[in-house]
Amino acid sequence: MTESSQNTAPAGSAAVGSSAQTTNASEPEGSVVLEGVTKKFGGAVAVDNISLHVRPGEFLSLLGPSGCGKTTTLRMLAGFEEPTSGSIRISGQDVVGIPPHKRNVNTVFQAYALFPHMSVAENVAYGLRQKGTPKSEIRERVTESLDLVQMRSFADRKPTQLSGGQQQRIALARALINRPAVLLLDEPLGALDRQLREEMQIELKLLQSRLGITFIFVTHDQGEALSMSDRIAIMRKGRIEQLDDADSIYDSPASAYVAGFIGQQNFIPGTMTSSLTVMESPFGIIHAAEPHDDVDPGMAAQAAVRPEAVSVALASASASSAPTAENQIPGTVIGVSHQGETLQFLVSIGEDQTLLSRVPRPNAPRLAIGDSVLCTWDTASVHVFPSEQATQAQADIARAVSNPAPPTSSISL
Amino acid sequence: MTTTVEGRTAPPRKAPSKRPRWLKLPSFALAIPAWAWLFAFFVAPVALVVWFSFGYKPGIFGTHANDVLSFDRYAEALSPTFFTTFQNTLWVGVVGTLICLAISIPFAYWLAFKAPVARRGILLAMVMIPFWTNFLVRTIGWQIILAPSGILSDALQSIGMLNEPLEILYTRTAVLIGVVYNYLPLMILPMFVAFDRVSLPMREASKDLGAGRWSTFMNVTLPLAKPGIIVGILLVYIPLMGDYITATVLGGAKGNMAGQMVANQFQTAQNWALGSAMAVVLVLTILTTVGIAALVTWLAAWPLRANQKLVLGDKS
Repeated sequence: MTESSQNTAPAGSAAVGSSAQTTNASEPEGSVVLEGVTKKFGGAVAVDNISLHVRPGEFLSLLGPSGCGKTTTLRMLAGFEEPTSGSIRISGQDVVGIPPHKRNVNTVFQAYALFPHMSVAENVAYGLRQKGTPKSEIRERVTESLDLVQMRSFADRKPTQLSGGQQQRIALARALINRPAVLLLDEPLGALDRQLREEMQIELKLLQSRLGITFIFVTHDQGEALSMSDRIAIMRKGRIEQLDDADSIYDSPASAYVAGFIGQQNFIPGTMTSSLTVMESPFGIIHAAEPHDDVDPGMAAQAAVRPEAVSVALASASASSAPTAENQIPGTVIGVSHQGETLQFLVSIGEDQTLLSRVPRPNAPRLAIGDSVLCTWDTASVHVFPSEQATQAQADIARAVSNPAPPTSSISL
Repeated sequence: MTTTVEGRTAPPRKAPSKRPRWLKLPSFALAIPAWAWLFAFFVAPVALVVWFSFGYKPGIFGTHANDVLSFDRYAEALSPTFFTTFQNTLWVGVVGTLICLAISIPFAYWLAFKAPVARRGILLAMVMIPFWTNFLVRTIGWQIILAPSGILSDALQSIGMLNEPLEILYTRTAVLIGVVYNYLPLMILPMFVAFDRVSLPMREASKDLGAGRWSTFMNVTLPLAKPGIIVGILLVYIPLMGDYITATVLGGAKGNMAGQMVANQFQTAQNWALGSAMAVVLVLTILTTVGIAALVTWLAAWPLRANQKLVLGDKS
């Protein structure tokens, strides 16, 4: 019965698929290519002309706030949505128009979507059963797959009898049993508590490097993305803002949005001088390492500097001893908070302008509220962005923070 | 993973109550009103009916007597005159339920998965609204439609599908049309709820793992919606078997049903003993047929279950 059901797929889709059966040699097994992909729902544009090349065996994260189009992109790869325009190739094969059950990709769903009427083993076996695999082989491979996620002893339980983390592992085993070229993960860790989430991050990464399968991981949690990914695509309003490895995204953000979205950032407004790496601000001169393409002399700009790049010292002490750094702004400490391994200082440097500084605890000066301090930082840690872009980005990020992704703790079974 | 493998913790110890022991009610006290109701209005009347069915009609003015107990009323109830009516009832009940099922499954599926979400409310209202009309009135409405000089007959004759007036009113077919119309919403609604509760990710997971539409329906959607489908079937089959309004209005002499017979014995013939025996036969018929249907379905699904079943065997 399962055999026949596979053959009764809609004839139309087969015709669309057959037109592009040719496999491109430059796109090996496990590669994913999106070219000019747009997806509209009615009038709303969910994904706006994105292009993305995922290398075989890569761990790529799609990171962004809710509504940025990351899940829609994933669903187009899985085949649950068809792009309005553009082309999608998986392992060099055009998959537009091919239904989900005929694609060599599998998905780990947000709430796991385990079948409650089947045992753990039957859940994991589902994919093989659909292919008509002989029962002896099913038994062997299910055992192997459950061993992979260390859940062999739970084989005869029902999913409802498992904890969230255990269900997560079963969902993973079930998705991997068909040996897909690409594994899609839709916020798979969202429903887990923090400690378990961190454990699963490490396990996922280990599993991925062991299997060598391409992982495309959707998340709104930057910590998750930074800790696991080979590369991260930061999405905003249906577009990819930056695609790079974690270091580059953190250290050289391509836009003010990326700069503000990943980690924390101090934005200081000012006016660009003719040198293009020097900005005049009401609080002092700020030197940047590199000019920004869109910033011209005399333009309103904003300089971004990370809290951990800013060091603070008592004004009296630094004035006498240290040689003057390029970037230094005086201010008054208005807040001190203990963050465990770091101390965080909030320094007022002028009207409505504060600067956040984060210093590792052993080296941190013992400052109190009201102390006059001098904030200094390296030129290399400064990036300048056009003022308009930076303001818009900060507004978008604030909105994303106040409207976080819907809670994913509910597991529907 | 600090949680225990079992994932269960010991039940919390009961907090000592401050109330004196004599004031405490046992926990089943909460269920007493419901049990009292059930006993007074279900158990006792049914027991009475069973008791009457073993008696006889003592004379022209008596309705029942139980001084001599026998199975004679059952023999009477199953005599050829009445037996045909039971057969007729069973036919209408089974065929009517099957027709409802054939309409409800695709309709409820469409409503739950394919219909535009914004229109769902209106579509559900369209299923419900006829139900708000009086049962008798909407059944009499069908008399007008099905009459030999009625709308349907005229329409079929005018397009040339019939050469003579439609002779369908006061037949078993008319009863069948009536009961399908009357009971259909009772099946559609629980089935819609059942299908609606099969979450989209579950169906998508099935497709993602290589199952086509049909396979997803058979392996995931249908098993998960099973409770709602069973409820729908029972909700239609049981009242349908006991229905006598539809049969009285649309059935005439040819479309007699057991419910009418029972009513006749109690009201017209004043033979409570025979009426009770007929009622008991009807109840037993319903129970038996439901049991047989359940068994047949269970056996039919055997290959599917065997295919799905997977026990890994030796655990290390």
